Amino acid sequence: MFTRDISLEDCILDLIDNSIDGLVRTRKLDISSVILQENTMAATSKKANLLQIDISYSETHFEIKDNCGGIRRKDALEDVFNFGHAPGVTGGTLGVYGIGLKRAIFKLGEVFDMKSQTIEDGFAVVKLNVKEWAEKDDDLEDWKIPLVFTGGADSEKHAGTTIKITKLRPEVVMRIKDGVLEQKLRSVISRTYALFIGRYVSITLNGKEIVGFEIPLGKSNEVEPAYDIFEDDGVKIELFASLAIRKEQEWKAETAGWYVLCNGRVVVAADKTELTGWGAGSLPQFHSKFRGFIGVAFFRSKDPMSLPWTTSKRGLNQESRVYQNARNRMRGIARPIITFLDSVYKTEMPEDSAGRTIANAVKPVSLSQISLKPATVFAVHPASRSVPTKVSIQFSAEKANVETIRKHLKAYSWGANRIGEHTFNHFLKTECPE
Amino acid sequence: MSEPTQSYLKVHYELRPAKQVERRMLIDAFQLLSHTGFSIRDYQYTGMGSIYFVDFILVHRLLGISRMLSVEYDTTIKKRIEFNRPFGCVKTKIAPIGDVIPTLSKDLKHILWLDYDGVLRNSHLQDVSLAATYLPVGSILLVTVDVEPPKGDDPAEWREHFETEGAEYFDQTLKKKDFARSLLPRRNIDLIAKAIQSGLSGRKEVEFLPLFNFLYQDGHEMLTVGGMIGSSTEKRLINGSPLAETNYYRKDLDDDPCVIKVPRLTRKERLHLDEQMPCDDGWTPSEFELSADNVNAYRKIYTYCPSYAELLL
Repeated sequence: MFTRDISLEDCILDLIDNSIDGLVRTRKLDISSVILQENTMAATSKKANLLQIDISYSETHFEIKDNCGGIRRKDALEDVFNFGHAPGVTGGTLGVYGIGLKRAIFKLGEVFDMKSQTIEDGFAVVKLNVKEWAEKDDDLEDWKIPLVFTGGADSEKHAGTTIKITKLRPEVVMRIKDGVLEQKLRSVISRTYALFIGRYVSITLNGKEIVGFEIPLGKSNEVEPAYDIFEDDGVKIELFASLAIRKEQEWKAETAGWYVLCNGRVVVAADKTELTGWGAGSLPQFHSKFRGFIGVAFFRSKDPMSLPWTTSKRGLNQESRVYQNARNRMRGIARPIITFLDSVYKTEMPEDSAGRTIANAVKPVSLSQISLKPATVFAVHPASRSVPTKVSIQFSAEKANVETIRKHLKAYSWGANRIGEHTFNHFLKTECPE
Repeated sequence: MSEPTQSYLKVHYELRPAKQVERRMLIDAFQLLSHTGFSIRDYQYTGMGSIYFVDFILVHRLLGISRMLSVEYDTTIKKRIEFNRPFGCVKTKIAPIGDVIPTLSKDLKHILWLDYDGVLRNSHLQDVSLAATYLPVGSILLVTVDVEPPKGDDPAEWREHFETEGAEYFDQTLKKKDFARSLLPRRNIDLIAKAIQSGLSGRKEVEFLPLFNFLYQDGHEMLTVGGMIGSSTEKRLINGSPLAETNYYRKDLDDDPCVIKVPRLTRKERLHLDEQMPCDDGWTPSEFELSADNVNAYRKIYTYCPSYAELLL
């Protein structure tokens, strides 16, 4: 029954988390400290050296294969295939509750094969029928998943995990058939692992590579993003907020709002609701004129349990004291940006020209670039521009009067516009000689 | 965002006796807190000094505070504000106060006076909430608003105003009768208190320790709610301080406000009353007609009350 409370997408993300956790464990990568750095692995390596996660599925199978380092036999016995986490698991991983991998497998289908190799050792699960296994309840040993021990991988490059699930559940097959699942997965994966894709891993879905989403945070010579950093109960929190970069001289409402990340995983994307402080406390409701706003809230901890995410890892635990405190400060750093956007759209549409010039000049900036500087508030320092020398004049005049002037000038072909210009120039010349 | 209001055009700030009594009481309170271990001299004072800076002058002269920031959002009087700065150590900033609050130094304690001259708006509550989030422990927050009926002459309209402006802080169970004229100060106090609580949510071991709740009237009836963002240490210090003995101290925002009423008295009458101060309960002068209520009101404020005279400068 416990497979019902989670969506198919969440399950697949859980399987990807498992792969990324392999990378964290075997490369001894402390995600909580390196994820914001410019680059650690990929900086020195070429794209070809990124670790690979390949996902494929059809109506008969689902498979995820990675070379992210594999799961140690010891971990498989004590942690991965145990219900709940073994105590003392730290290092800034993504698998929080220890049930992710098993839950995902059970949700997808009835039979699974699994093979995992580290460079030290390996294990396999051969065609385990989950349903039959779950029904067996003769003695305590029946609760253990039967593992076959194998040798380790011949090189680090080949160490990894493959999970293949067959006899998919009918509701999973239905989703696969509906034709929109792939596109949805592509976009969810692209957003969720925005900070991993292209830096640590390359992910493919049914043979096609997934491009990592770029959070459209911007800056320019005139626009300085806000940055705040603080620690609360062992959780390091960094907040970034600025104007969004534009596409075709326009801000996109879909990508505006707050992005909340826990240990590098995007938990909430482009949020414009009270969840991230809009329309409550010190921020107004989201409005289309605020679509130039982008904020990123980054929570990191070696202990994933202390992060404010929910068990599905795609929501925030609003009861978390750490999150409540952070949310109030998210509102604080957002305020000056809201003031700026308010001033750009004084009379709704269109935006004022000075604001547009500033907005169009905003270029992408990485979180790591901003975090190199001390905490600062959002500021716009407009460059002095040449003030436009011309202004257009428009007014209404009685047709009869225009006709009188036209006749007087004997300029029968002139339109009202030209007559207006002529009278203006005439006044300027005769009454205001230089 | 709130539009800048222009009460500075309506009345000379120095000639508001009730407001002045309030200022003197606040200064008195800060002096008492200084004696209790709060080093008020080292606090930063941030206010909305307009072009008169009356509070800045008092704070600098009487408390010795020299870190001062005046925030105004009226860009049309930018030069006047700068021109009228009373001391070199008063810094000025033209910006909405809500944009400035997150920038206040985390390493200092602050006295922040959100001294609005209009009726309560949502943007005010946003500022208040922000202040509760950002002010470091030991800082003092003061909020002043106009508590006259916001618009029209019907309590139903007033309720509507508070429902709109109070947004999520508004208590939907309140009925039209809860918006009787005399209950409007209470409605304002409750909304401000809720905004403070919301700004504090998530902060560890910190609470709002109420100190002030003034109601006064020079023209419009005004309310000032104030207190300290503090932990149990600050709470203990305040409870043991002489401030707790004063008649204007308000430990709980649910208690009735301290009403500042300045009776209209001639100079001669005032001198006569002063001779009897502090007088016994129920005492009234036999030489002229003055109700016991007025005498009582005077007894509460006489040590803080300004005297006005024409000076030919």
